[in-house]
Amino acid sequence: MKSTRRDLFLFAGGSAAGALLTPAPWRLITDTALWSENWPGVPAPPRGEIRTRFTNCSLCRAGCGVRARCVGDQPVQLTGVASHPLSRGVLCPFGLTAHHLPYHPARLKQGPHERALAAVSAAIGSGDRVAVLDLQPGRTASWTYRRAMAALKNGVYLTNGPSVAYDLHQAKTVLSFGVPVLDGWGTPGNVIAARENFRLIQAEPVESRTATLADVWLPVQPGDEDATALAMAGELGADGSALVLDHRGPAAAMALNQRLGALGRTVVARPEAPVPVEWRSAAPATALAQVEDRSIRVLLIDESAVDGYVPWYQIERKLVLDNPVVVTFTASHGGYARHAQYALPTAVYPEISEDIPTAIDSVAATFRLSTALIAPPAGIVNPAEWIATLAGLAEGDTIRERADGIHDSGRGAIYTPADGKTVAVKDLTAEAFWKSLGEAGCWIDEPRHARAPETTTAVSEPHAHDSDVDLPLVAWLAGPSSPPLLSPLMTKLYQESNLRLAPNRVALHPSDARAARLADGVHAFFQTRLGRCGVDVTIDPGLPAGVVQLGTAPGILDVYRPGIRAKVVPA
Amino acid sequence: MKHRAKIAFLAGLLTALGAGWAGFPLAIYRSRPQPVDFSHKIHADKAGSKCDDCHAFRADGSFAGIPTLDKCAGCHAAAMGTTVAEKTFIDNYVTPQREPQWAVYARQPENVSFLHSTHVTRGKLKCEACHAAQGSADMPRVYQEDRISGYSRDIWRGKRMTDCVDCHQRQGLEHSCLDCHK
Amino acid sequence: MTHANQPTKAARYGMTIDVDRCNGCGACMVACAVENNIPPVPEANDRKGLTWIRVFRVDNGEQGSARRSAYVPMMCQHCGADAPCVSVCPQHAVDVDPATGIVGEMPQRCLGCRYCMAACPYHARYFNWWDPAWPPGMEKTLNPGVTPRMRGVVEKCNFCHGRWHAAKQLAAANGQPDGPVSYTPACVEACPTGVIRFGDLNDAENPVARSVRENGSFRLLETLGTEPKVYYRSRKDWVRQIAAAPKPGQRKENGNG
Repeated sequence: MKSTRRDLFLFAGGSAAGALLTPAPWRLITDTALWSENWPGVPAPPRGEIRTRFTNCSLCRAGCGVRARCVGDQPVQLTGVASHPLSRGVLCPFGLTAHHLPYHPARLKQGPHERALAAVSAAIGSGDRVAVLDLQPGRTASWTYRRAMAALKNGVYLTNGPSVAYDLHQAKTVLSFGVPVLDGWGTPGNVIAARENFRLIQAEPVESRTATLADVWLPVQPGDEDATALAMAGELGADGSALVLDHRGPAAAMALNQRLGALGRTVVARPEAPVPVEWRSAAPATALAQVEDRSIRVLLIDESAVDGYVPWYQIERKLVLDNPVVVTFTASHGGYARHAQYALPTAVYPEISEDIPTAIDSVAATFRLSTALIAPPAGIVNPAEWIATLAGLAEGDTIRERADGIHDSGRGAIYTPADGKTVAVKDLTAEAFWKSLGEAGCWIDEPRHARAPETTTAVSEPHAHDSDVDLPLVAWLAGPSSPPLLSPLMTKLYQESNLRLAPNRVALHPSDARAARLADGVHAFFQTRLGRCGVDVTIDPGLPAGVVQLGTAPGILDVYRPGIRAKVVPA
Repeated sequence: MKHRAKIAFLAGLLTALGAGWAGFPLAIYRSRPQPVDFSHKIHADKAGSKCDDCHAFRADGSFAGIPTLDKCAGCHAAAMGTTVAEKTFIDNYVTPQREPQWAVYARQPENVSFLHSTHVTRGKLKCEACHAAQGSADMPRVYQEDRISGYSRDIWRGKRMTDCVDCHQRQGLEHSCLDCHK
Repeated sequence: MTHANQPTKAARYGMTIDVDRCNGCGACMVACAVENNIPPVPEANDRKGLTWIRVFRVDNGEQGSARRSAYVPMMCQHCGADAPCVSVCPQHAVDVDPATGIVGEMPQRCLGCRYCMAACPYHARYFNWWDPAWPPGMEKTLNPGVTPRMRGVVEKCNFCHGRWHAAKQLAAANGQPDGPVSYTPACVEACPTGVIRFGDLNDAENPVARSVRENGSFRLLETLGTEPKVYYRSRKDWVRQIAAAPKPGQRKENGNG
């Protein structure tokens, strides 16, 4: 009996009917739906036990307390510590996203270690001047640099750090010329806590975020700061309860602060945690501006901790013309790595274990550690160790030495975030003190008689030049400087909304943009008499005409000076 | 032949039924062995362990699920018996400090938030209600996963989300999608 | 989906946002992105981004030195029972939870038609135009409490529902009976000036519930009748005017998006 085609069709029909009565087709439909939900392009979050660890943020000198929610040992979320006496639970957008930084794709991971060492050693051997430029003085590493430079024949230690601290809690009036007091200045939590006590007068050409919340906004053009200050001096009173901040630096407001009686009260010499006595014979700190031009042969820049970018032209003029050697210790390509001969990679927060110097708005000395939450990659360099080895200093745990020195002084108290308690140092053993520091404790000195800061005269720069005739705009920085590496999530603020100006952008009033033939989002050149830098353009009708607002990328800062005139030209 | 048509149809029907019910599970599921032949029975009988000695709640209310290596190594730093399974475990995992990659029968998809504390502590559900009698088994069940979706065969005791929803409905606890999804 | 049960004791979570205290720092925006595994979208402009909460700058319409700005954080307003996005969804991927009042969005059910985005008067819904792209290694920093979404689905603020789960988990583990739990969304926790406050509006003694009943509290686009649970406060009249969004021509609009 042969099978026919009809049998085949009947068989197939029976199979189809039978298949529908089995789980198979329904299962395949469900599975396909489930498969389509688990798209390979979607990352899966890590699984594991949730733990809480503490550290202090070292992206800036505020050193805010950080509670890290970790899966296993990997931080997945950073928040503030509410009971912290200084930071009061506040973290800025950079601090909130810093756990991404170790995985940043633009992070420097390799560098020419041997060649850099060879070049520097050779230059030192010939007796040429060696300098360390410390961009965040006051750390234990800073003292290592000072001791290293003292050990070398012709070593000098350079800083550009501010030497003043401000007491907002004692101030009744704060006159700020362009300083973003309420937007990333000092320790944000501390500023907000003190806000109720003082009247804030914000004097600047652009209505910044700080100006929005200030009591008064004075639209003052760059260049008119001194005249305005003189006019207001009488009004501000001379009982030491007023305080003047100036975006050009503490020296610019020094004379006015002195006249107001603020020196020694609301403006004091910057305090520092005690150091072991043996260290005090280290090299003195020299301001970068005081070094003779063209005198430095080897410059070692510690860019791993930055307190404000120093424009390259201020540094370059101090280097010898003939074959200078510049080594920068950095985690990003964007800073001095653009200018240095050698860029050596360092760890980034939260990989580092280092101490954080006292913040600009703390009149009591503080000592706290940024305790590493994850391990740094292989191949990175610790700049303090590198420079110490270069100078032949003995090895040692300098941070432990300093902590022991603080403990021996018996002063102050230490706050521990895990239990929120503050314990006097006198009541702790050295071991317990060190343990508390290792758990992100914060040591705060007892109130001491505040010293008035050294009165330094401002280096005055002429505002107008002959070559300014064709530079129609006046440049103004937007907000506080950003750290060298930014989490990718910062696009939320810079690109996915227009809330903040990205570091590599400039903003123009629509009429100025029209005059320069620029549209929103185009690439352009920001040009001053110091040079030019490629930028992207944002059009902001909220700006006054005649002002170009700048992001704080190092490339832009390299061609900027407060009050400088500029133009923006299409690329 | 007289009933040729019916026979052909019936043949197809029966073949499909057989293939669908018996053959399809063999085809759609792929087995994976557990890294260690763990015996719940021995641990319950000889070691006197109860369920929550190893499968406990943490301080924040989350459930530890399958314990990590340090729990096992707490007792098995050295061999406690004579089985091959234990020796393999110590050699391959305890000594080199490697976490065993257990195949989790009830591993939920990424978008599901199942809270043990609401079901066990508050709802007083017994472990066996969802996890069968694994606690008294001598050998771990064979872990099978769906080839297409990757989900474990026992993920919801072989059924689907609607069975969880039905029980919630009966308890008066079915409010919104976000009750169980994250 | 079967009919939802009515809970015996329901919470109605809401927020009060003090516009006069906001300095536009953006901490809430990044904290939200960290908590909810929102990927960075570098290709986006400000119309294609994923910003579940977004701070807008608005101003009083004057020029020069008379100009005054304010910053207004905006997220899904969690409308009341007749939320516009609920009724338009062909997939029933959106519902208003009777137990919490949260308007929940299920990315797994969403097929990406974006009808809800058109229906939402607050433009508070965002579409995943691209697959989430995290730099290699950075996936280790994702939050396990929230599921990441694939491309082609809509997402929005859900009052940090992952934290609600964690709070329920802890409450159950501590032996508390079923009922409203207290928790803090990421934006509320991150805000340095305490602009955003969150609480159960059904709990009369809750400071947030009391605040929304006080004078000076208003909601956005109140005339639409969406009954949102996010209230705003400001002493500035021009902010209130912008919130009411008068018809074009009635007032010179200079709100910067």
